[in-house]
Parts: sequence; C-alpha cells; structure tokens
Amino acid sequence: MIATDRLKANPSYLSIEALTVAYGATRVLDRVSLGVERGEMIALLGSSGCGKTTLLRAIAGFVRPESGTIRVGGKDITHLPPEARETAMMFQSYALWPHMNVADNIAYGLRMRGWTKAAMAARVADMLKLLQLDGFGPRPVTQLSGGQRQRVALGRALAIDPHLLLLDEPMSNLDYKVRLELRHELRALQQRISITAVYVTHDREEALTLSDRIAVIDAGRIVQVGAPEEIFHRPTSAFVAGFMGADNAIDVTQRDDGTLLAAGGGPGARVRAHFRSDSARLETGSTPSSGPDLVLSGTIEQAVYIGQGYRYRVRTPGGDVWVHAPDRVPEGTPACVVVPRQAVLLFPPEPPDSATTSAMRPAA
Amino acid sequence: MNGQTSAPRWHGLALAAPALTVVGVFFIAPLAMSAVVAFRDKAGGFTLEHFSKAFDLYTTDLLFTLAIVLLSTVLIGVLAIAIAGYLTLGENPRAVALLRWLYRWPLFIPFVVAGQVMRTFLAKNGMLNHVLIGTGLIEPLSAQSLLDWRGIVVAFVWKQAPFVTLLLAGAMASLESQHIEAARNLGARRVRVLLDIVLPQVRGTLLVGLVLSFVTMLSVLSVPLMINPNSPTMVTVDVAYRINTFADYAVANALCLLSLLLAAGGAWFYLRHAASKAVT
Repeated sequence: MIATDRLKANPSYLSIEALTVAYGATRVLDRVSLGVERGEMIALLGSSGCGKTTLLRAIAGFVRPESGTIRVGGKDITHLPPEARETAMMFQSYALWPHMNVADNIAYGLRMRGWTKAAMAARVADMLKLLQLDGFGPRPVTQLSGGQRQRVALGRALAIDPHLLLLDEPMSNLDYKVRLELRHELRALQQRISITAVYVTHDREEALTLSDRIAVIDAGRIVQVGAPEEIFHRPTSAFVAGFMGADNAIDVTQRDDGTLLAAGGGPGARVRAHFRSDSARLETGSTPSSGPDLVLSGTIEQAVYIGQGYRYRVRTPGGDVWVHAPDRVPEGTPACVVVPRQAVLLFPPEPPDSATTSAMRPAA
Repeated sequence: MNGQTSAPRWHGLALAAPALTVVGVFFIAPLAMSAVVAFRDKAGGFTLEHFSKAFDLYTTDLLFTLAIVLLSTVLIGVLAIAIAGYLTLGENPRAVALLRWLYRWPLFIPFVVAGQVMRTFLAKNGMLNHVLIGTGLIEPLSAQSLLDWRGIVVAFVWKQAPFVTLLLAGAMASLESQHIEAARNLGARRVRVLLDIVLPQVRGTLLVGLVLSFVTMLSVLSVPLMINPNSPTMVTVDVAYRINTFADYAVANALCLLSLLLAAGGAWFYLRHAASKAVT
C-alpha cells in the first residue's frame, strides 16, 4: 500500500500498480507495484518460477493481468494488445526470424511503422554501426554466433526507438566470457542512449553490474527494491540476504549489548545470522577471543578447491557453514569460523513450521 | 574385415527386400505395363495413335481436369492457411478449440461419401438453395444447381483442406512461440505475423500438403462421376468410360499416362523444394 500511494503521488515513467496475474487458480503475481524512472535500468531478480518473467510479459502485453494497472508515461496500457504498446522485447532465445537476413530482422519494426526503404536502410546502418556489426546486413541470421545474434536482437529492439526496452534473460544462452563482455557493452549502450529498460535475470552478478536498481521477487511479490549496493549490503529479509550471497544461515544468541554468541553460548535473544563465505575467516589454531565478532567452533568436514583458495564446510553445533580460506587444511581438523560483526546480517529466527521468509529490517 | 563389411550390406538388402518386392510387383510393373500398352498397336508395334485419339477426344477434359485441380489446390491452400493461422494465432480459446475439433471431420469421410453429400447439398432442390431461399437471400426461381465444375471444386476443397490444414497447423505449432511474440511486440498485427513470420517458415510443409492434394485430386473418380459426369468432365471419368464401355485399354492407358505427367509436374515442385531445403 505504501508503495502504491507513493506511485500515485509521484508517478514514474513506467508505473505498475497492484498488478495481479493468475494462471487458473495459481496466483503468479500478487499485487505487485513498481515504478521505473525514465532512462533507468531496473533488474527483476529472482529464482526460477518466482514471477519475474511473467511481470515482464505482462508489461509487454503477452499476459493479461487479473487486476492492477500498467502505465507508461502516464498512459494506461494495461489492456492494449502487444503491438500497440511501443515496447520492444529481447528474448532469451533471441527469436530472430531465420528466413530473414540481419538487415530485414532489424528493419521489421520499421516496416510495420510504414518507413520508406531509404529511411529503413539508414536506420539499419545506424543500428549495425552502434552494435559493431557493420557489413552484417545481408548475412543470414543462421550463420551468426550467439553473441552476434544477441546484438542483432538488441538492434531489432532498439531500431523502433521504443518507450521501454524489455530484456528477458538475454544472456543466459551465451558463454561466460561473451556474457561478461556483452554485459558491460549493454550497460554502456543503455546509459548512452538513456533508454528505460527492465531486465529479467536470475543471476545476481548480472543484476548488480547492469542495473540502476534491483527489484528482488519471491513467490510473486517484490520483496525489496533498491540500488545494487543497498540490496547487497542491507537486505531486508533472510530471503534477499540468501539470494545476494549471504547464504550461510545459522541461529545465534544476541546479548543485550549486541554481541553475538553461538547458539546456547549464554543468555540472550535467539536470532538468525546470515553471512557470506568470503567475509568470514578460518582459524585452526587456538580458539580466538570472540570480542565483537561472531565465533563458531567446529570441525572441517569438506574442502573444495576453487582456484583462488579453498572453500570449507565446517560443521558447528548450530549447523554447517561455508567459509573461504587461502590455505589447504585437512578434513577433520578442529577449526573456528570468525565472522566480523559488520559482516553479519541478523534476522528474526525462522518459525520452525514455516520455510517462508518475512520481509523485515535487519537488526544490525 | 571383408566379411565384417559385406554382412551388414546383405542384411540391409534382406530387410528391404519385402518392401521392394511389393513396390516392384504392385506398383512398378503395372505402371510399366500400362505405359507399354499405351504405345503398342494391335500388331504389337510402336504407335502414338492412342495418344492422338486421346487428344482428339479429350483435350477439353484434360484442360478441364487441370483447371479444376489447380483451382481446388489454390482454394485449399487459402483455406488451410486461414484455419491453421487462426489455430496458431487465435486468442479466443473456445473458438480455437471448436475449430480444432470441427475442421478434421472431412478427413474421416471417403470421397464417394463426400460426393454424395455434395449432391444433396448443391442440387437445385438441395439444402444450400433451401437455406438461401429460406433466409431470403435468393428468389426460388433463381435457384440453380451447382452440380457442375463448381460442385467438384467444393467437394475437393471440403475433403482436402482439412488434410493440408492438419499438416500446416502441426508445422505452425512447432514454431517457437517467441518468433510470433517478437513480431507482435514490434507492432505487427496477427495477419501480418501470419504472412511475414509464420507462413514463410512453414511454406515447405504447405507445399508438400498441396502437392499431395493435387495428386490425390487428379486420381479421384467418384466425385466427378457423381457430381458432373457429362462433358467436359475429369479424365478419371473418361478412363472409366473407355474401359467400361469400349474395353479400350490403350486409350485409357494413354490418358492415365497424361495424368501421370500432370502429377509429375507436382512432384517436380516437391522435389525442387526438397532439394533447395537440402542445400540450405
């Protein structure tokens, strides 16, 4: 409700209000509200089946919402057919038409708008230059590499100068190296032409590097919206913390003075601590004094080489945690995991009969 | 080593032998015999007399046959594209389900039954005219029988359009749905999506369906015999007439060979497309 009120008071360029989408009895999006400013790139981040692609498809007009509104530039587009929305979508499979060459693919949207042949040719040439595909116009799209196809799909989307660019995991079919390269190119291009874009991804690194803001979606609801730094460092729920890499989760005791102890280590409130494997350190000598840091004693159960060091699974009385360390330590060695206080994210403990995460402010 | 390489070859021939025998005995041999008879005079020598007679008597019917079958093929193509296009791009799920259920019915009805259905439907006092008169669209005096070339075309289209639709709708359904969505997203209405995006990607299947229908319609006897047996009529009626009335197998075989040449035209289209697909 607060988000909806804010959107009404100060409408964004793309404004989604209380959008609900259901497939039969299954509610895929549940009263989702989101605002995207002009020229902003927002990432919809979530795991498979969370509803992020459905939200994108609802914006494009391929999914009919049960209720709610979608506005672009103040115009209600909720019930417009896809062809009347002036949005351009880039698909996961690129969806380039194999019976057309590169130039025809890029020019298709212009043809639908009645452009002259000369104007279309000039626009296609501009797009090819922008995407570093000069000379590729007459080539069949079936002869292009994955990265080239992705560029052509982007050119086809951008050629019509859309109100909104919608990207549905467009890099998930690419090699890691090509993906890294194109990620930066796409971000630079989006900023250069100041296009408003919505980017769907399940890859947090992609969301962090590409977007101005991230909206994290879980089970059909937006659970947190914010700048990448905010989402990464100040997740408001255990779900977001886990999704952003703080996937070590363990119950601990918080004393009145704020210091943390392993569960059962003394009087205090039970809280759920989340931390990242690479923000903790492994101590195999004498037990360090805890001070403000969280110290968890245990035994090394598993060691995995990860290139720049090792990743260890340490069994503690409260559960297993993972930690990174530069040196090899044999399995079975007693060890302590030391987590700096500022690296610990605290949330209320999960109710024992529920796996759901509640959106709450971290205690620290 | 030699034993190892030759054994599978023999096995392959042995496996193919029954099929080859059936094709040879029941198709190739009768066809060859038919061709031989068409070129043989009473003394057993070579002659073109039967072809000359066939052209003298039946040139109009040959052209009539070609025109009927070509027109039917075009109409079948248009109808199949429209139905398969709606099945693929239609947005009313109930209408799509109803059409999907309805369009296949003629597939299960034999040509002879289709011919009989059309006789009762298209006759001067048939159901079509009853409906048109009943709804006030035509006067009773202006009712006319459609049991001529129009009746044959209607029967052929009615019978064959579902077959081509079946092939075409299957090919369209196998297209990636994102290809269609990408076009709509760029501003294409559904008719444009059908013509620009869907149809070019399934035109091979459409061509195959139309060629097979073309050849099938060339060989149908029951429909022209029941709807329009009088001249000009289709070559199949003439062949039956030459055999049943005059026992004139020579001219009948000449007419069959000419029909075969028409069918070969369709096969040429088909093979040319198959070859171009293989190259690309």
